[in-house]
Amino acid sequence: MATVVSAQNVTKWYGPRRAVADVSFAIEPGEIIGLLGPNGSGKSTLFRMLCGYLAPSAGSISVAGHDVVTDSLAVRQAIGYLPEHAPLYDHMRVGEFLNFMANIKGLSGAEARRAVAAAAERLALGEVFRLPTRKLSRGYRQRVSIAQAILGEPTLIVLDEPTSGLDPHQVIGVRELIRSLAERHTVILASHGLAEIEKIASRVMILLDGRLLTGDALAGAGEGLRLGLRVIGDDATVRRVCAGVPGIRSVAALGGEAGTYLVETDGPAAAPALVAALVAGGIAVRELVEGATDLEQVFLDLTQRARKAVA
Amino acid sequence: MRNFLILLRKEEAALFSSPIAYAVMTVFLLVMGYTFTLTLFISHKPTLVHVFVQMFVLLLLIVPLITMRLVAEERSLRTLEVLLTAPVSEFEIVLAKFAASMSLIVLMLLLSVSYAVVLWLYGEPDFGPIYSGYLGLLLFGSAIVGVGLLASALTSNQIVAAIASLSTFLLLWVIDNFGWLLPQPFDELVVNLSLSVHFRPFATGSIYLSDVGFFVSVTLLTLLLSVRALARR
Repeated sequence: MATVVSAQNVTKWYGPRRAVADVSFAIEPGEIIGLLGPNGSGKSTLFRMLCGYLAPSAGSISVAGHDVVTDSLAVRQAIGYLPEHAPLYDHMRVGEFLNFMANIKGLSGAEARRAVAAAAERLALGEVFRLPTRKLSRGYRQRVSIAQAILGEPTLIVLDEPTSGLDPHQVIGVRELIRSLAERHTVILASHGLAEIEKIASRVMILLDGRLLTGDALAGAGEGLRLGLRVIGDDATVRRVCAGVPGIRSVAALGGEAGTYLVETDGPAAAPALVAALVAGGIAVRELVEGATDLEQVFLDLTQRARKAVA
Repeated sequence: MRNFLILLRKEEAALFSSPIAYAVMTVFLLVMGYTFTLTLFISHKPTLVHVFVQMFVLLLLIVPLITMRLVAEERSLRTLEVLLTAPVSEFEIVLAKFAASMSLIVLMLLLSVSYAVVLWLYGEPDFGPIYSGYLGLLLFGSAIVGVGLLASALTSNQIVAAIASLSTFLLLWVIDNFGWLLPQPFDELVVNLSLSVHFRPFATGSIYLSDVGFFVSVTLLTLLLSVRALARR
């Protein structure tokens, strides 16, 4: 199947300030992409460009084969978007709002009613369906906004902070919903909640000061096993050796001390094989810790390292 | 067309669910009722010339209240992002907002037709100036709604939008008084920007193509600029 999103050297300037800098990535069908970054890192700007709300200052983005600038309406037809802060029309009731959104997405009559009912059921909005949106709690506003994003079977669903304002039960529900969406849609979600991204995403991208730091896959995040590895040896050799060990999914160098890596494996069986291969390859293993680090550590290390590099 | 109707319905609902629409209509009908009664009793003439002039001034003052929220509110509540990431064009959005605001003005003008009915029942009015007066008010109303919509599209603050459009209207209302003081050919140029200079003939029963063209041009230009303001993000 064709690539859903293709971004090439995308840059966005707000006056003299560069919000997104030379970002390139591709998203394949069925992926759940987690976009991670601290506040002000450019996540929302990148999403707004993906949805055709903002035009890139340089570079190009295509969604479902359509350019976001020259073919904006086709892009908007292919996208379901949950903006940050879940904005809703306060003069409408929940049902009216969802119906309005279904209509402007091209659904009408019975088809619109069915889509609205299905979305309301998936987000458990039955209780508040007839309430004015201005009377909703933060959590319900978020859920109504997610419901409008999934109306009309969009190819790509873009969710900016989807679990913001939800209680733990609702967070679990939305997490399940996002996983189920990936069966029929491609999903990209942004968060600065590291644990959240780790639990949902099949791939993580980290954005810092507008730059994309890594596109490394965290295949099967939450399953498998992560190893914190400290070695003495050449970086290229370490990576070459790791690549030859069965059960090793990815290797990412961490910031701070040289020779420190986060290794994604299929499970505990990979650890002894990795040590044996490293020693055989002439690499001295100083420390190997099972589950010693997590995505949060990766995030902090990568962002610290990038900031040091810029400084 | 389908999207326009959906958006128009949403704009109408937003407009008529707000107390501003009812407050504006109440003030309009109270002031106009008073003006109509007073001029009728003083002049004893079956004419609406003074009523139309009063409507012109009143619309200048109340249209900013109707238009200030059109885009500025959506921008400040961030619902504009929802709208502009949905598959609807900026043109449809602007046109729906314009049409919804005009519907309130048309409603107020329709209610004021009762004055003409009173004149018809109890006198023998000349309907020519009445028709031209209403045509002038419609054209003038669409021009100032266009200006108000543009002001709202340029800011996220409703008060700023209202003050910007009110200042523009007041300037264009009285600009002919200053225009005559300027040397040729600037005097004619500036005087021709005046809203009252272009409206006055309608109120007295004269329809000039130049006046129609002026109001239509202002309407189209401001709608076009509003679309550009939404598209420039």
